[in-house]
Amino acid sequence: MTSRPGRSSSIPIPRSASSTSGRNIESLIPIPFVSPGRQAAMQGTSGRQPTEPRRVGPEGPRSVTTTHNISVSPVRSTARSVSLVSSVPGRTSSSRPPFEPRVIRGAPAEHIEHGPPQSTSPSQARRVSMGTVRASVTQPTIVPQHVVSSSTAAFPRPAYLNYSSLRHFLQTDAQPSTLPSRVAESPSAASSRAQSYLSSVSSDNDDESSLASVPLPTRSSNHVAAPMPQDQVLRLPTRWSEQDRHHNLNVFSDGRELSFQGPSCSGDKEGSSARANHKIPPACGIYYYEVEIMGKEQKAHISIGFAAPKAKFNRLPGADPHSWGYYGEDGSALSPDRNNVHFGPPFGTGDIIGCGIDFSANVAFYTRNGPVFENIGRHGDLYPSVGVQHNGEAIRTNFGQARFSYDIDYHVQQQCHATWSKIITTPIDYTRLREEPSKPTSASNASSNTTGDNTTDTNDEAKDILNQLILSYLVHHGYAQTAKAFSKRQKDRTASSELLDNSSSSKVKLDAAEAKVGTMEDDIESRTNIVNAILEGQIDSAIDTLQVKFPEVLEADNHLIFFKLRCRKFVELILETAEMKKKLKDIHEKEIEKPTGPDYTQNTWASEDMDMDVDDDSAIPSEFHPVLESGTNWNGTGPSTGLDTTTKYESALNEAIVYGQTLSNDYQSDPRPEVQQLFKKTFGIVAWEDPLTAGGATAELVGQGARVTLSHEVNQAILRSQGRPAQPALETLWRHISACITQLGIFGVGVAAFADMERELLQ
Amino acid sequence: MPPKVTIRKEEWEKRLHDVQVTKSDLNRLIMDYLVIEGYKSAAEEFSQEANLEPPVDFESIESRMDIREALQRGDVEDAITRVNDLNPEILDTNPALYFKLQQQKLIEYIRQGRIEEALQFAQDELAPRGEESPEFLSELERTMALLAFESAPGAPPAIAELLSPAQRLKTAGEVNAAILESLSQGKEVKLVGLLKLLCWGETLLGEKAEYPKLNVLSGTFVDK
Repeated sequence: MTSRPGRSSSIPIPRSASSTSGRNIESLIPIPFVSPGRQAAMQGTSGRQPTEPRRVGPEGPRSVTTTHNISVSPVRSTARSVSLVSSVPGRTSSSRPPFEPRVIRGAPAEHIEHGPPQSTSPSQARRVSMGTVRASVTQPTIVPQHVVSSSTAAFPRPAYLNYSSLRHFLQTDAQPSTLPSRVAESPSAASSRAQSYLSSVSSDNDDESSLASVPLPTRSSNHVAAPMPQDQVLRLPTRWSEQDRHHNLNVFSDGRELSFQGPSCSGDKEGSSARANHKIPPACGIYYYEVEIMGKEQKAHISIGFAAPKAKFNRLPGADPHSWGYYGEDGSALSPDRNNVHFGPPFGTGDIIGCGIDFSANVAFYTRNGPVFENIGRHGDLYPSVGVQHNGEAIRTNFGQARFSYDIDYHVQQQCHATWSKIITTPIDYTRLREEPSKPTSASNASSNTTGDNTTDTNDEAKDILNQLILSYLVHHGYAQTAKAFSKRQKDRTASSELLDNSSSSKVKLDAAEAKVGTMEDDIESRTNIVNAILEGQIDSAIDTLQVKFPEVLEADNHLIFFKLRCRKFVELILETAEMKKKLKDIHEKEIEKPTGPDYTQNTWASEDMDMDVDDDSAIPSEFHPVLESGTNWNGTGPSTGLDTTTKYESALNEAIVYGQTLSNDYQSDPRPEVQQLFKKTFGIVAWEDPLTAGGATAELVGQGARVTLSHEVNQAILRSQGRPAQPALETLWRHISACITQLGIFGVGVAAFADMERELLQ
Repeated sequence: MPPKVTIRKEEWEKRLHDVQVTKSDLNRLIMDYLVIEGYKSAAEEFSQEANLEPPVDFESIESRMDIREALQRGDVEDAITRVNDLNPEILDTNPALYFKLQQQKLIEYIRQGRIEEALQFAQDELAPRGEESPEFLSELERTMALLAFESAPGAPPAIAELLSPAQRLKTAGEVNAAILESLSQGKEVKLVGLLKLLCWGETLLGEKAEYPKLNVLSGTFVDK
């Protein structure tokens, strides 16, 4: 990497920034969508065909891919992503029942109308229609979220951004780019979104005097509470800003076109520039947009690139010290550090210039000629920016609304892979891993102790740590047999190497571990039995085991767990009676086909009566008796076929009521609101003939989900009573790392985008 | 440099709570470890208890472990036979690995004091290979140097270490990795990747913020 960058016209080699990015880009350069000369532009469409065969991105043809990927955006139905954005206002939270998302109705109609107007632009007919088709396919999924979008056609997050581990934060929702956005996105407030996050987290951060105090209008309501990262939306540029532009540049066509009207500029640096409506979130990892030259000039007096908030609008990108650009007239690269260096071929009418920035290496690149502008974006925000000098010149931009001409997905995939490979060569800092948190060492000191040994892949020390994590995980979740086999095997192994090696500290540890498993095995089994019993509705059995094995759990929190279990027991009893009653009804319905006399009417009446009487949950115990009596009445004269069932039903109901009464007696005077509320809700279910099908809160209270929740709670209570953490250390570790990466992304550390734990470790 | 942001423990724990990861995600990571590290019976039990599809044939774990054990026992011949039974291409396509196994065999001869056999074996099998590459040759010389010392403790560490259990483990580890590769199973344990990611992420974040310190083994946090 000793060659002088930028001097040679055809071999772009990055000076130092990242050899991988250089390599990747070089490998991609041979497939430009338009060959350098204008002949290619004349040849027209064939030159623009995307390079399908090279596509290694997500499966399938592009349109399908896009639709598919869209589902990755916030409404994706899998639990993971839904809840990732769960706290975004107006979206369904994962904790709410699944039938609720009414918010999303009604929007589609609004969006269909975005199609036709676009396709009227003659010069763009072909491409636009492509975009329109795509858009219409994806509308049903996408539109609902963009409740706010109005002035700009909403479009899904471009597929290449799905390689970012922070993709869920990246949104294309176009805010109405009218007045309010002027405030929110003005230079001084440019970083206010991130700032609002930062400043709410800590009070001591005000590196840019004016920022921290600017409250975001949309956020002011919950500004006090530190917003979770999940509240954060990192907006992607979607159009040229109506406000942040030179007055000679006009914005057209959904904000995607710019055209220059006014006296042409004469000076080298003079020009009219504009920037996009949002700054580029470094959490993209790589951000990319394309510009098509629509003017008539063979060598356009246009510069395409990036600008910091400070850049002036009467300068071309690259001519102002806070901006970078690739200039069409002579193909030079304009940047603050080296002005006017020859970079690539000149460009002009019909050409499409792809322009990207890689935040993991802080380097920009153009599809025309590879990487350029090292160290870009290291300090502060950047916007896509274009500057024009001559009257009549115009450009059209693709911020991701349409299919890109360049195979950016492949490019990003390569870079993503390369970055991950680099991350994963990080040496493990064992002193850090074994650190006791009570020791007040700082992270930077600890990392200097790194054992620089990255040749071993799974060495003994890593294994030792992992073995402990795994064992505690297995024990936590009650995988008793696995834990047993695991620790036995470890012991055997150690023993076999002990024959030759006498340094036996690890053996002692293993003996201890096995002893732990030995004594715990019994516990695990009881715990598993209890959990399973609850899951099956066998509450008595769970309580019995608890009483024998973990009596302190029942006593903890002033018998709260015990109370919850008893409430559940009552629910189970009621469910049982409901089930019987259904059977009974079936029998009676069969009976009615035969002549059965007046019993049937009485039966109907009885069940109606029960529903109504029991409805008032505050007075349940006393109200139960009439129901029971009327039940007894008709049972007495009931059809013989249903007699057995009826008797059973009767006694089951009786049992439930008695149980309920006891419960009522025991807890009537309990002052805890939590207890009273659960008590009330629990008795409320009696009002339904079949609580399971009642829907809403009732179904939630009685369904299997409630058993799972309760069993989880009991499991945790048992673990707590044994002085163990409520979640396995391994899980905490995972969550901790994930939070670190997210935080890095929010801080604008681009490389975090390519540290995707889910993709790299779970798929 | 802007001043560091401070994130408190409560805030951090809230964020951890919001991270989406399921038990079955973690179960798969554990299974990955059990398979690669050769915990056959634990992997079987786990597949049952956690209701997980086994990612590989459990028998292949078994044979991998048999090979590993053979090497740890010092029975190199048995290990080579088993590797070839499993897949002859593994050694055919990997001369360096084959050389290491042969070297290990020579070491075992020397360890057992079967000097004549050792010499014979070195001349027949290893010397021709030593000519192939300077690396092989220097390894061969290092191994032969063992003969120069009456007893291992008297030898310089660089030579004596050939007789250590670590040398056997090292050879066994390399064979294990080669077999995993031939089964197109990842050879690096994903949980090790997790530890690396932790070190990577914490270092970077430490430059930007003060955040609670995780005790990895206990899973608890302390504010800095």
